[in-house]
Amino acid sequence: MDTSSPSVFVNGALLRRFVGQKVRTVIQVMGSDMGSVVGKSTDDLQIFVRGSPPPSLTTYLEVIGIADSENSIRAEVWTNFGDSFDALNYNELCKLANGEFKHLFI
Amino acid sequence: MQPSVTPDAISAVLSNPSFDSSSSDRPEIVVQVVDLRPIGNRYKFDANDGKMKVQAIFTPSLTPEIISGNIQNLGLIRLQDFTVNDISTKSTKYFLVTKCEAVASALDSEINLGSQREEEASEPKKQKLDHSPVNDAKTNVSTGITLKPKQEFVSKSASQIINEQRGNAAPAARMAMTRRVHPLVSLNPYQGNWTIKVRVTNKGLMRNYRNAKGEGCVFNVELTDEEGTQIQATMFNDAARKFFDIFHLGKVYYISRGSLKLANKQFKTVQNDYEMTLNENSEVEEAGSEEMFIPETKFNFVPIEELGMYVNQKELIDLIGVVQSVSPTMSIRRRTDNEMIPKRDITLADESNKTVVVSLWNDLATGIGQELLDMADMSPVIAIKSLKVGDFQGVSLSTISRSNVMINPESPEAKKLKSWYDSEGKVTSMSSIGSMMSPLAKNGSRSMYTDRVFLSHITSNPSLGEDKPVFFSTRGYISFIKPDQTMWYQACKTCNKKVTEAMDSGYWCEGCQKKDEECSLRYIMVVKVSDSTGETWLSSFNDEAEKIIGCSADELNKLRSEGGEVNEFQTKLKEATWSSHVFRVSVTQNEYNGEKRQRVTVKGVAPLDFAAETRLLLEDISKKNKASH
Repeated sequence: MDTSSPSVFVNGALLRRFVGQKVRTVIQVMGSDMGSVVGKSTDDLQIFVRGSPPPSLTTYLEVIGIADSENSIRAEVWTNFGDSFDALNYNELCKLANGEFKHLFI
Repeated sequence: MQPSVTPDAISAVLSNPSFDSSSSDRPEIVVQVVDLRPIGNRYKFDANDGKMKVQAIFTPSLTPEIISGNIQNLGLIRLQDFTVNDISTKSTKYFLVTKCEAVASALDSEINLGSQREEEASEPKKQKLDHSPVNDAKTNVSTGITLKPKQEFVSKSASQIINEQRGNAAPAARMAMTRRVHPLVSLNPYQGNWTIKVRVTNKGLMRNYRNAKGEGCVFNVELTDEEGTQIQATMFNDAARKFFDIFHLGKVYYISRGSLKLANKQFKTVQNDYEMTLNENSEVEEAGSEEMFIPETKFNFVPIEELGMYVNQKELIDLIGVVQSVSPTMSIRRRTDNEMIPKRDITLADESNKTVVVSLWNDLATGIGQELLDMADMSPVIAIKSLKVGDFQGVSLSTISRSNVMINPESPEAKKLKSWYDSEGKVTSMSSIGSMMSPLAKNGSRSMYTDRVFLSHITSNPSLGEDKPVFFSTRGYISFIKPDQTMWYQACKTCNKKVTEAMDSGYWCEGCQKKDEECSLRYIMVVKVSDSTGETWLSSFNDEAEKIIGCSADELNKLRSEGGEVNEFQTKLKEATWSSHVFRVSVTQNEYNGEKRQRVTVKGVAPLDFAAETRLLLEDISKKNKASH
């Protein structure tokens, strides 16, 4: 496993704490065009993802990249997460990974 | 010379547990067959050498020999191959005859070299002959006739006494005055003289039975005293015939001279450690004109929500509910005897917002069932005593012969239920308990239970399931499937019961009493399951094992027989190993070689629903956090 550049699990609210750092999140795709995707975070905030998305997108999408601002990410890795994904569970994971159990995550 | 038995043949048999049939210098062992009787598809007999007798069984393959008359009762046989078995739980030994030949047809009588016991042995022997297919009818009839008047004389004199007493106007009052009435709760097997005053709160039907000891009839009643204590009383044969017409449902009686014994937990239907047996000398008198405040049928209601725990248990339950719907009657053909029986389904609801289907059978379907159909729009409350809980459609209830249905009973429970229904139940949407129970329900792993445990919870509590089976859900990996275990049995295609291979070809089903050319294989196997806390063996039956293995037992058997370089059978088992499932298990205690053992049985298997499992884990984390703060 490559631990040289870890990415933090974030939801919409947590994103602002990691501006300039590498993050990963899952969004529900609301719309997309050539160079960007607009999506809804697991805690119902709007997130803009820039970069070059894959040609076809599923409902849920994981992106890994640098947090540009408190609501945008410049994505390097795009992964389709399919059409059924439990957003609530993911949101809880993000909270635990940045709170109580932060020490377990890199 | 007349053929006879080998002297001390029985000791030779017993001291020779592994009889070597191939050796040529084996001793000749000839024994007499006595008390030959069918047990299922096999025949059992007592092997007699004139000195000793020991129980023995012919393998099913010898059955035709007996039917054809080759091997006869009281005849002699030469044992050629047999196995002695110890029944460790009993002190008796028996042996299994796998090969033998008939030496002589039926002798006049049982060979008895030690003549001193002849007298006492001859009488029961002749009676037992009743059940042997090759008995001597004449002796039986004559014995029967000489015995009967004696028995009738006894019973008549007893009933005459009762009749005289009943003819007298005041016996009941006298009995009550002269004898102290004991509360039911105070009775025990060691106490001689008591009289109880009880109401008959349930009366069973007269049943005829037939077993190794002969034929007979039996019926039982449930008795309740004024404190509400209940006891079941059973009557056999003469006592049954005598009291059947005396006991009326709902009436109050004085009873004395019955005997008590420990209740058989498996069959007990009322809450009492003891059960009562009444014989023909017991006294039963109706307490006619007295004030009676002995309660009506006592119920022990189980909420619909909690029925899951009783599925396929022997325990009977009582239920109260609001009638939601009533079906027309249907005719169901009973499998055992092809008789048509009327059945009617009713749906009941209770305050847990759950519904359940109750099948009324026989007279309850046509009688009270019709009454319910006529008044179904009024949503009556009904209370049912003694229901069996089955797993058809998840959970289903059935009446049995002694079930008791009461419409709109005058009880606090009924009133409460009625007012709940009128105020909110009517408009609430209900769900069927069965659909939630089924492991196949939409969500797969979501059962109605929140009783998820780790394997260590089960393995570290050796006393779990001591009184009655307990149920859990658990998530684990299949870690090992022993490839050389007996994985399946040959089953009847109709009823799934075990079949035996018939002599010529095909398979004989004891349950259906018929032969079929084909049988199907059904799994019965153990698999090892592991989780982060430990591991344990789970017993698994066909439907669950099919889900674990991923194919039917017939298919797996085919793979096994194919063999070959790439063993598909091994591959299939390997594929099934290290996959995770959610199991619904029951934990029970089994006696094995005199030792108690925990037996964990798979009742349901569901694939992992990862999102649901994650939610469970998150719940656990937040619970732990709350507990530690």
